[in-house]
Amino acid sequence: MTIDSSKKPLIEIKDLVKKFGNFTALSGVSLDVYPGEVHALLGDNGAGKSTLIKVLSGVHPPTSGKIYVDGQEVKFSTPRQASDLGIGTVYQDLALNALTSVTRNFFLGREIKKGPGPFGIMQMKEMNKITIEEMAKIGIDITDPEQPVGTMSGGQRQTLAISRAIYFGAKILILDEPTSALGQKQQMEVLKTIKDVQKLGHIAIILITHNEIHARLISDRYTFLSLGEVIGRGMAEELGGDDIKRLMAGGAEIGDLRDELGV
Amino acid sequence: MNSSATQQPQRQESDRQAKKKWYSSILARPEVGPIGVMILLLCLLGYFSIPEGQFSLNPFSGEGFNALGIRNNFRIIAQLGILALGAGLLIIAGEFDLSIGSMVGFAGCVMAITLKWGFAFVIPYISFAGGPHIETIKIFAITDVSPLTAIFITLCFTLPFGWFQGWLVVKTGIASFIVTLGGLFFLRGLTMVSFRAFNRAPDQTAGSTTVTDLPDIKNIIKVPGHGEMEREAAKALPNDQLLDILSTVPAQTVAKIAEKLTYVNEKVALYKTISNKSKMIQSLERSLEGAKKSNNESMIEILTKKIEEGATLPDVTAKAVTDLDIARTYIDTIVTARPVANFFGGDIMEPIFDWLYYTADWNVNLYGNQFAQGMYSCLMIWFLLALVCYFVLSRTQAGNWIYSTGGNLSAAQANGVPTNKVKISLFMFTAFCATMFAASQVFEVNTSDAAKGNLKELEAIAAAVIGGVVLTGGFGTVLGIILGAVIFGIAKEAFFYIPGIDGSFYRVFLGAVLVSAALTNENIRKRVIGSV
Repeated sequence: MTIDSSKKPLIEIKDLVKKFGNFTALSGVSLDVYPGEVHALLGDNGAGKSTLIKVLSGVHPPTSGKIYVDGQEVKFSTPRQASDLGIGTVYQDLALNALTSVTRNFFLGREIKKGPGPFGIMQMKEMNKITIEEMAKIGIDITDPEQPVGTMSGGQRQTLAISRAIYFGAKILILDEPTSALGQKQQMEVLKTIKDVQKLGHIAIILITHNEIHARLISDRYTFLSLGEVIGRGMAEELGGDDIKRLMAGGAEIGDLRDELGV
Repeated sequence: MNSSATQQPQRQESDRQAKKKWYSSILARPEVGPIGVMILLLCLLGYFSIPEGQFSLNPFSGEGFNALGIRNNFRIIAQLGILALGAGLLIIAGEFDLSIGSMVGFAGCVMAITLKWGFAFVIPYISFAGGPHIETIKIFAITDVSPLTAIFITLCFTLPFGWFQGWLVVKTGIASFIVTLGGLFFLRGLTMVSFRAFNRAPDQTAGSTTVTDLPDIKNIIKVPGHGEMEREAAKALPNDQLLDILSTVPAQTVAKIAEKLTYVNEKVALYKTISNKSKMIQSLERSLEGAKKSNNESMIEILTKKIEEGATLPDVTAKAVTDLDIARTYIDTIVTARPVANFFGGDIMEPIFDWLYYTADWNVNLYGNQFAQGMYSCLMIWFLLALVCYFVLSRTQAGNWIYSTGGNLSAAQANGVPTNKVKISLFMFTAFCATMFAASQVFEVNTSDAAKGNLKELEAIAAAVIGGVVLTGGFGTVLGIILGAVIFGIAKEAFFYIPGIDGSFYRVFLGAVLVSAALTNENIRKRVIGSV
């Protein structure tokens, strides 16, 4: 995949700083994400990935720094405002209710209805149709949208959460460890889904992962975090496997590690 | 990346699941168990209530299903059902309300007190003139409270209390079990205190925790020439006044009533004849047995012959229909002047029960009179509430919110569902259900008692659980809650009819059903969630 150099980043983060009291979680992180591109955010535990996501999704306000969406500087302080700006976050727990149907989950909190307030009648047929269509767009055919989410595989649930975020206007999709809790096969399913979202072309994806192999399968661009700072970045083509391994481990040379372990 | 692996037609995860049998989707529904238990109970009730010596394959021929039995059973079922709806919906949203029973007593108390003494809004203050004591400033007072106003005033007490309990639960995070347990004691105590306080002042019946002398409001009617009065009082008017009333009735109506009364009198006469004859035969048979014991040959012969001939008693002649009868029956047909009281405490479906008596010849008691006049109107209130609940829970956005609030609270919140509002509304709804229950009781029996609704909160929760509601929330249906209430109501009746066992075994049975229902529910819930 080649990136058109004239493309403008959908979301630009400049010198983002986040402090919790005396603790500096992020010290000047910058990041560009382009539409139709998977941007892998890699780093060890405590590197600041989670904090960065929480700032981007409106859970924590940044201490300083600027965020541009579509070239416009934006400020937000609640998850609602972030999602109104098109930043959709798919958390690890996916925010699904396993006991109710796929459709009811897809439209949870944003049901299509006719009638007064919360007592409006849900338009189940229309909602079912949209659910099937939207999930098919990113590669999962569900025959029965009335089946409980509990009967779906972990991969299908990821797809449901992702397609839901996209349908409700996410242009910037933040995926928080989407493959971590899954088996091999379902991991591949999810990666395929991400690839399909990428092919849609207008969505910028930030992929947070621990898994170097998964990152290499689908990512176009990398940013490596360590102790709240960017310690490396680059296009997929520029980085070799050893570079990625080294940067993921927080910059330690594999050789050093070998020495330390005495292998 | 080796693309060959991904381009092959992949086996789907769902392929691994066993193909569903046609019945598996039925078995996954939470109502299956309750329906089974209900059918079992109906059969028990039916077969065991068939009188000894008779045989029938039809369980509905038993005494448990005569008109009066149905009327009384459905009253118990409907009253519990009203509370179970509130309790069940709240459990589906993941919370508990133990104050329902006390709320019933409290609502009945407020209603009865306002109906009897009126309602006043006062501001108390401490006065020091002549020693410190509490004085009040009256802001406004309603002395003659109509049924509708009484219910409205009661709701002004119960709904805010429900709101407050819900607010405490969602704001403080204290378990609803504890908050509403507090409500249980608080309201019951408040009910007793209020009853005593009000009873003591004017009537000197200190210590009484009841109000028993309310007028029969639902039966207040406009009698021509007499204004408003209670039905029974109108029927007890002197004869000449009754005839005066009758003279205002159109001839057509009089003819119709006369026709009906003739039918009733003939029926009564017929039943009297039959009963006289069977009594005579019975006494002859007894004499025959005595004669056989004493080997009185001639006596045996005479008695046998007489029994063979059958009873030779003359038929009882039907009583003539008098104008006074017609007048009293006419008074019975006058429509109530207090429709609200009648809505809650009166009877419904009277035309159907009349038809069953006059045309279908079924709704007849042992003396030939009409057995039941209709169903208690709490059945209608239950039905209406159930209809609304069913609609809201399964068809509306609010229903989806209720399910998700109980099923996965954080997921619901992450998707913008106002879970706190959902919970608080449902706490208010249980208070509303308790108030409806209290209204139907107060207007039906015209009394109120501080002990009303005792233990009802637990029965309501049990009915909901038997009906397939899972206590951890997120799972259950209105149909199931309805079935749970039916099972609870019928169990008592069915066990009463089983010969040779203590009727209290129904509690043993319900206890076992409750626990096995909870196990089944959990099982079904796990099947729905599946395993990933």
